[in-house]
Amino acid sequence: MAKAFKRRGDRFVARLDDVEREVVVGLLQQTHDFLAPAHRDPTGDPFDDLVATMGMRPQGDPAPTPQGPFDPALERLLPIANREDPAMASEFRRLTEHGLRERKTANLATAIAALAADGDRGRDGDKVRLDHEQAQAMVVALTDVRLLLGERLGLRTDDDADALQDRLEAASEDDPQRYLAAYYDFMTWLQESLTQALMS
Amino acid sequence: MSIAPAELARAEIAEDTSLDPPWITLVWNDPVNLMSYVTYVFQTYFGYPREKAEKLMLDVHQKGRAVVSNGPRETMERDTEALQGYGLWATFQKDE
Repeated sequence: MAKAFKRRGDRFVARLDDVEREVVVGLLQQTHDFLAPAHRDPTGDPFDDLVATMGMRPQGDPAPTPQGPFDPALERLLPIANREDPAMASEFRRLTEHGLRERKTANLATAIAALAADGDRGRDGDKVRLDHEQAQAMVVALTDVRLLLGERLGLRTDDDADALQDRLEAASEDDPQRYLAAYYDFMTWLQESLTQALMS
Repeated sequence: MSIAPAELARAEIAEDTSLDPPWITLVWNDPVNLMSYVTYVFQTYFGYPREKAEKLMLDVHQKGRAVVSNGPRETMERDTEALQGYGLWATFQKDE
């Protein structure tokens, strides 16, 4: 059973069993691959593809504009940076997109490594111990995971968030959106605790 | 570039270009980012005190957006890039 992050001296400590750890690492990895400069082909696994590729431009949609990428999740992770001046937004993207993707993927890689490594800065049985630098990477990495999951769940406004619960109750048992929502809630809980620990 | 705070570099730039027309960095509300995390980012990146960071976060949440910094264009672009690195919905524009 998972235990949320708490500050213990100069370490940030949580508990995740093997299954929970696998879920977190899997989501970090998918977000990493999604943001890495080269896009991954569909895997054939329905869940992976839902997370990683379902938001790709459906056939018949308008061609991408120079102001932004066409996957709505990419647009949320790398938003249009100037809403008044498309040329300036385009220039900003040209100058920053590669660096942002590199820094985000490096951050996600740090978070993955922290959950995989044994020892004082890593796992010890079910315990996860992060130093301050790893905790900072993790809290940002969890944001990107949640932004990607949130976009796949259609969370674009506060009203969407309120409506999600009703939609899930009406969804069938094996609807992948239910898994996404459960993972999203788990990531939210983990991130909230780590944020509180970092601010304490 | 790391996501670590960059107050030193910011201060230098602000001094050199103080006569430039003002630009602003905006953060927009979204349903995913946690209120605590948005406050944490404003404190960590800008070095704003807790109270100011919380007020800005509440403005984002309740009014839909907030001006989080102002200064020369280059600095606002750097703030926007850094905040997007943190996952916030940040944009820059000319102050009106």
